[in-house]
Amino acid sequence: MSLPQSHAGDRPSLEVIPGATRKLRPKISHWILFGFAVIVAFFGLIYSRISLDSSAFEIQELEAQIAVQEDLHWQLRYELAQIQDPARLEIEIAQLGLEYPAERIGLSVPVVGIDQLDPDYRWAQLKAILSAQP
Amino acid sequence: MLRPTWRTRDLRVVLVGVVFLLAWIGIGYRLFQVQVVEAATFEADGNDQRIRYEDIAAKRGTIYDREYIELAVSVDLPSVIADPALIADPAETARVLAPLVGGNVADIAESLSRPDSRFAYVAKHITIEQEKEVEAEMELAAECRSGDYPASCSAALDGIYMRNEPLRVYPSGDLAAQVLGLVQQDDQKGLEGLEALYDEQLTGTPGTKVLERDPAGIPIPLGELLIEPAVAGVDLRTTIDREIQHFAQQAAADAMVDTGAKAATIVVISPRNGEILAMASAPTFDPNDRGSIGEAIEAGALRNRAVTDVYEPGSTLKVVTVAAALDSGIVTPQTGWWVPAAYEVEGKEDPYTDVKREEGRQMSVAEILTKSSNVGTIQIQERLGNDLHHEYLERFGLGQFTGDSVPGEVPGLLRPVNDWVSATAGASTAIGYRVDVTALQMAALFGTIANDGVWVEPHIVSEMIHPDGSRDVTVPRQRPVISEATARQMRELLQGVVEQGTGRRAAIEGFAVGGKTGTTEKFLPEQGAYSEDDRIASFIGIAPIDNPEIVIAVVLDSPHGEVQEEDQIAELQFGGVSAAPIFARVARAALQALGVAPDLGVAPDPGAEPDDQ
Repeated sequence: MSLPQSHAGDRPSLEVIPGATRKLRPKISHWILFGFAVIVAFFGLIYSRISLDSSAFEIQELEAQIAVQEDLHWQLRYELAQIQDPARLEIEIAQLGLEYPAERIGLSVPVVGIDQLDPDYRWAQLKAILSAQP
Repeated sequence: MLRPTWRTRDLRVVLVGVVFLLAWIGIGYRLFQVQVVEAATFEADGNDQRIRYEDIAAKRGTIYDREYIELAVSVDLPSVIADPALIADPAETARVLAPLVGGNVADIAESLSRPDSRFAYVAKHITIEQEKEVEAEMELAAECRSGDYPASCSAALDGIYMRNEPLRVYPSGDLAAQVLGLVQQDDQKGLEGLEALYDEQLTGTPGTKVLERDPAGIPIPLGELLIEPAVAGVDLRTTIDREIQHFAQQAAADAMVDTGAKAATIVVISPRNGEILAMASAPTFDPNDRGSIGEAIEAGALRNRAVTDVYEPGSTLKVVTVAAALDSGIVTPQTGWWVPAAYEVEGKEDPYTDVKREEGRQMSVAEILTKSSNVGTIQIQERLGNDLHHEYLERFGLGQFTGDSVPGEVPGLLRPVNDWVSATAGASTAIGYRVDVTALQMAALFGTIANDGVWVEPHIVSEMIHPDGSRDVTVPRQRPVISEATARQMRELLQGVVEQGTGRRAAIEGFAVGGKTGTTEKFLPEQGAYSEDDRIASFIGIAPIDNPEIVIAVVLDSPHGEVQEEDQIAELQFGGVSAAPIFARVARAALQALGVAPDLGVAPDPGAEPDDQ
């Protein structure tokens, strides 16, 4: 196998042509950059528009959900108020066999209302009274 | 072959050019017409097709009790609506929908069988569960239309839609129904009670929005523009205590059964601040039950009798006569004189007498009030004089509106003193005739005595809560009427009425209470005469009497019959027999609800004594 031979000796030597102007190759890198920028801007614009629309749809969806939750909130408050209706509670209480006590029992709490006494002492006394209740 | 000359070719080019030029000129002209000359017209036409202005309904304000629990609230509930023009088989549609919405097949089919109409209700305000079932059925129908399940395809739900509509509901049914009132179902306009009186504030301000729709009428996404947001109505916080209101209503309803009364009214107020804790009238109604409203109107059940119905207060008005005499120093509780059995006044055929007293005797002012002596009270009035008597009646608020927060109130009637020309005018007024009052006015009157002589405006709305959270708090008017000392003396006398006098049935275990009974012949306006059979029985009391927390007015219209007591038969037409026990019942419950400790000695529980520990 033989190596390729050098042809350097065959190439004509460079020479300066007097009076000739230098021909510049057009620099396409700027145009590529400009084109790229235009494409990016175009797609960016489309993307931002899509994002905007998408966000708007999300907002619309959220607003609809808020409205639904608000409705639900008021419906639940309504139901809660219904549940707390004294007439309904009275029926429930009766069904449980509960009734207002026929006789009233007074609790004698001597330490309550006497501010001069030590609060800890009053609290201990009160606890003792409360724990004695059936 | 003849080759075209340059001239011929030029001519063709020119001709084509001219045609194009003319076409462009035509297009340009039309564009100018559309864009400039008729731009406004076309824009308007386009907007008409695409844009719709819609009102945004403002949420109606909520009415709360004193603890912010809803008494009246608007909720959006789904309604099933239809476009009959799009329904091919109304009977089939009705058959599918009726079981889902709990309706009648024939009724729904009838409402859908109007092809000329573009709107019909299938069911109004369905429940959340029903909504889910209808939605599931509609989704299935949509899938059918899309061809995914062609076997089960049905056109039955074409033209059926759902939309949310506001509904005014009253969670506690008939609780304080006459106070709250009701609204028109369609536009939620207040018709009665607080709903009517505060309708403007509760309604709020509707908003506006612009919607863009495609040719099929479907809203274009992002094509919605809010022009003016809706402003929700003001919320009202009332002074009503639901528990006390319930007890009062129950007592009023039972009173009608037990005494045969045509109507019963109970008012409970807090004398210190004028708050109306309960205002019950029987018969009553349930504002949620629209079908019964007509019947309720006929029965007078919509009337808040505590403020709309006037009556002559009878003996309960003797407290003004006595308080005026004490306050002006004319008498003291111990001042006494001879009180005859019958007392003649010029111009009156029959003499004034006392019930169940046939002989004259020496009585003190305290005894006169305790025993509710007509003759003794008339004698006090004679010492007082018409002018001073009238002045005190006015100061106690008779013949005037108590305020402006109670719906449907009438001022009653207190004739000017110039009209007290007959000799009997002062005497009759002293014992509670010739004056028309409402139960609320009388409650406020006794509230003055309970509140150390200061009259406080009774009110039912404690604050208005605006959508921005700001609040208008009601500050009730106040005015001194009698001195603190007189008020205290009056409370002692009223306690005597319950402990030794006509109001013994008003006593409550554990509490010292005071009050006054009243029984008057019922005036029949249509006959211009007093009824021979019907009476107005009342009791107005204060509890506890030493440290008043509540004032309760009980008024019964025409109680009849008798009640067997331990050793006697008592007639229910007397306030002390029929109304006083109702006071006791309501007062006991109200004091318990308010957490007021007994002020009289109650049997202490020995096990609770700290010494035992």
